[in-house]
Amino acid sequence: MEIVVCMKRVPETGDAEIAVDSTGRDIVRDRLTYDINESDNYALEEAVLLKEKFGGTVTLVSMGPPETDETLRMGLAKGGDVAVRLWDHRFARSDGHATAFVLAKAIREMEFDLVLTGCIATDDGRTQVGVTIAALLGIPHATYVMKVDIEDGIATVQSELEGGLIAVNRMKTPALFTIQTGINEPRYPSLISIKKATAKEIRTLTLDDLGLEASSAGEEGSKTKIVKLTPPPVGKRAEILEGAPEVVSARLTEIFKEKGMI
Amino acid sequence: MRDIFVLAEHRRGELRDITIEMLTKGRELAECCGVPLTAVLLGHGVDRFAEKLASYADTVVLIDHPQLENFNSETYQAALSPLLEDRQPFLTLIGHTAFGIDVAPRLSAQSNIPLATDCIDIRCEDDRVFAVRQIYGGKLNAEVSYENAPQYLATIRPASFPVREYGLKGEIVRTDCPALKTPEREFLEYVEAPAGEVDITQADVIVAVGRGIKEKETLPLVEELAKSLGGVLACSRPIVDAGWLPKDRQVGSSGTIVAINKYPNAPVFNEADYGIVGDLFKVLPTLKEKIAELKSG
Amino acid sequence: MDFDLTQDQRLVQEMVRKFAVNELEPVASEIDKTGEFPWSNIKKMAELGLLGVIVPEEYGGAGLDFLSLAIVIEEISKVCASTGVIVAVNNSLAAYPILAFGDVKQRQKYLPVLARAEQIGAIGLTEPNAGSDVAGLESTAVVDGDYYRLNGTKRFITNGVEAGVYVIFAYTDKTKGHKGLSAFIVDGDTPGFSRGDHEDLMGLRATGNCELIFEDAKVPKENLLGEEGQGFKIGMHTLDVSRIDIGAQSVGIAQGALEASVKYAKERTAFGKPIAQFQLIQAMVAEMATQIEAARFLVYHAAYLKDKQVPRFSKEASMAKWFAAEACLNAVRKAVQVHGGYGYTKDYPVERYYRDAKCMEIYEGTTEIQKIVIARSLLKD
Repeated sequence: MEIVVCMKRVPETGDAEIAVDSTGRDIVRDRLTYDINESDNYALEEAVLLKEKFGGTVTLVSMGPPETDETLRMGLAKGGDVAVRLWDHRFARSDGHATAFVLAKAIREMEFDLVLTGCIATDDGRTQVGVTIAALLGIPHATYVMKVDIEDGIATVQSELEGGLIAVNRMKTPALFTIQTGINEPRYPSLISIKKATAKEIRTLTLDDLGLEASSAGEEGSKTKIVKLTPPPVGKRAEILEGAPEVVSARLTEIFKEKGMI
Repeated sequence: MRDIFVLAEHRRGELRDITIEMLTKGRELAECCGVPLTAVLLGHGVDRFAEKLASYADTVVLIDHPQLENFNSETYQAALSPLLEDRQPFLTLIGHTAFGIDVAPRLSAQSNIPLATDCIDIRCEDDRVFAVRQIYGGKLNAEVSYENAPQYLATIRPASFPVREYGLKGEIVRTDCPALKTPEREFLEYVEAPAGEVDITQADVIVAVGRGIKEKETLPLVEELAKSLGGVLACSRPIVDAGWLPKDRQVGSSGTIVAINKYPNAPVFNEADYGIVGDLFKVLPTLKEKIAELKSG
Repeated sequence: MDFDLTQDQRLVQEMVRKFAVNELEPVASEIDKTGEFPWSNIKKMAELGLLGVIVPEEYGGAGLDFLSLAIVIEEISKVCASTGVIVAVNNSLAAYPILAFGDVKQRQKYLPVLARAEQIGAIGLTEPNAGSDVAGLESTAVVDGDYYRLNGTKRFITNGVEAGVYVIFAYTDKTKGHKGLSAFIVDGDTPGFSRGDHEDLMGLRATGNCELIFEDAKVPKENLLGEEGQGFKIGMHTLDVSRIDIGAQSVGIAQGALEASVKYAKERTAFGKPIAQFQLIQAMVAEMATQIEAARFLVYHAAYLKDKQVPRFSKEASMAKWFAAEACLNAVRKAVQVHGGYGYTKDYPVERYYRDAKCMEIYEGTTEIQKIVIARSLLKD
């Protein structure tokens, strides 16, 4: 089974404080650490599990600058066989569609039974790229996939809907799934796999290699643009209780009493 | 005239709240732009929804077809693309829900309509549309503009807009469904999540933890607090993903929510009813004490 | 001079860091309280190759260099010093001497077992009456047919309770002074061998520390490590290597203390602002960070020399071990201070770091011994 996994290298902003930079359209990035997008990591693990079951190869694809190689290398250590990085300075500031367009162009040249992506990128939160790639490649898709079963070229997948409800869909491969976190337990690469990863290939393809026009990629090819970034209004809904733990606890207990919870 | 379209969302015999939220915002936008508001309803045997939608919209386009009975991104897109091609709405709103996320990018790609997803606000200025969406897990808002295009598409985050009743009597227009191919993806069934030992949906009080607790050891402390409030312990998704609590403990976001977070700008305060900026390890024990005092005294 | 880690080393660092935070940190405080030997940690680490980092691939290890081992130990120790020292001992004090001095049969028999953590390894050098004074060891090993009869007691043995493979030092010929010391590989089920009670230590509490008791223990002749009389050389060389690791452990604990302090200082407010804005707190953080940075480079340099197979690196290893222990002790003391009263409670991890840190200047050769090693290398003719 030939599987393509789309990976994104994102900044780790969970615990970090983020500031808007001087352009007003991006964040200050110098002190940030980067990592593989969380749901992409689950997608990679799912691909490796399927490879272990059915044989075949796992190809990692990522659109990103040279620093992305390290993330791809870690992906190779986790079970990827070959990696392809798509980059050109003209790819910068792509919106969801433009990103998907470039990725789809590269993937179209590959042989694949499945394309797996994460369900959401933790930086822009668009949830758009995976489904767009499927549409551009002309293959069926499923989103927020929690379970993948494949037999004789037919995939039965469970997609997570709101409230824990699951939708079960079936389609022939080739197909694309956007993978939800928690579908599996992503492995840590062993020391030996890390060693082996150095010998694996990371190919780079530019805009010209892909045979694309500059107008179809990056900011030029994006029909939505970020105008500016602002911090969200604080406590838009929440009534903030202030003071020392003693004080807020007393007030909160009062509130619980008023609401009849105690 | 270039309408604003709102795609109604329904599932298993119920119209979903996001639909009304979008129609309320849609009406505001429509009035601002001086255009009609149209609700689009795809399904099979969903007339009763059409009537409800008519109280919010000027027109309800109802496309009834057996193949539209259950949501399927391919058939829905195949039904919507010709409609949008024909009617050329200025702006189409779809819910940023499991269904919406499944169909909107496909519709955007196939019909070549620019799309902004998970919008928490949207406005029209002259012929341009601007949306606001959150990035970096809600730590920043991004104002997004669309390049000049004949149509615009946006998915709207649920609970972004309040609902209002309009008591209108819109016209229900039964529209033919275009010929639909058999989709490559076949819907089989819905499955309910398996019930666990604790049904948090039945709990009056939920004390939920997220990644901030760092150590598994903290769970018993929080569980004690939950019990003293007559409630149950629950958690966010990452805690379930890490295997610290079972899936049935994963919390949604309804009810009275009190959030404790050390960052004043924490996005959770936008979701909570009450917020405490502080250290949970200091607040929880004090809170437990106060509750115990109140209960006994 | 290239100060950068290689790509492999960076990937190793990233993997172990994530593993440590996700898998080891959640139980670190608990195992310190209960003193439970962390087998579940060990099983997970063994699968990733962390118990046999420097064991060659042909013997089931990962076949990486000593700098990689130092990185592994630092990252683990940052969240759990007990687990860090278990890994260090298994790699450098049990597997390494067998790798460096064992014959083919010994290597084939014991290295895969240690690398896969089918058995945990330990070293038995210290005795109730002899810690720094290696010449004062009293254990003896006397030939008896196909065996050596081993008699004596070893004290304060890390991994002692749970280990199954021990590298034990005893005198085969007391008349020859330190040239009469020999080293043996002792299996955990050796007749005549027993373990004493689990020590109740100040820190490093989950390392299964105990006494080893040998009463006419029958150790097969083929378990002699190296040759009779080579024990002192084996011991000293092994300690040179393990001192790199304990240095790495000290750096890890110190780094953990620093990061906790930085986090706390930004959150805690006093006199109307975060304490991070006060100069005396800033001074503490600056001092910690600089000393840790210097210690780290001394450790890396010693590891680099070992990897380059420089014949003598005792001085550099001792410098690294001693300096890192000092940096660590200064760091944990400041960390508790930054945390104020809260640092003195068990609700915050810094008090554990404080207790764990004290051992850094005692074991694997006290700070005093390290200084003598360094001075000797400079002052001897």
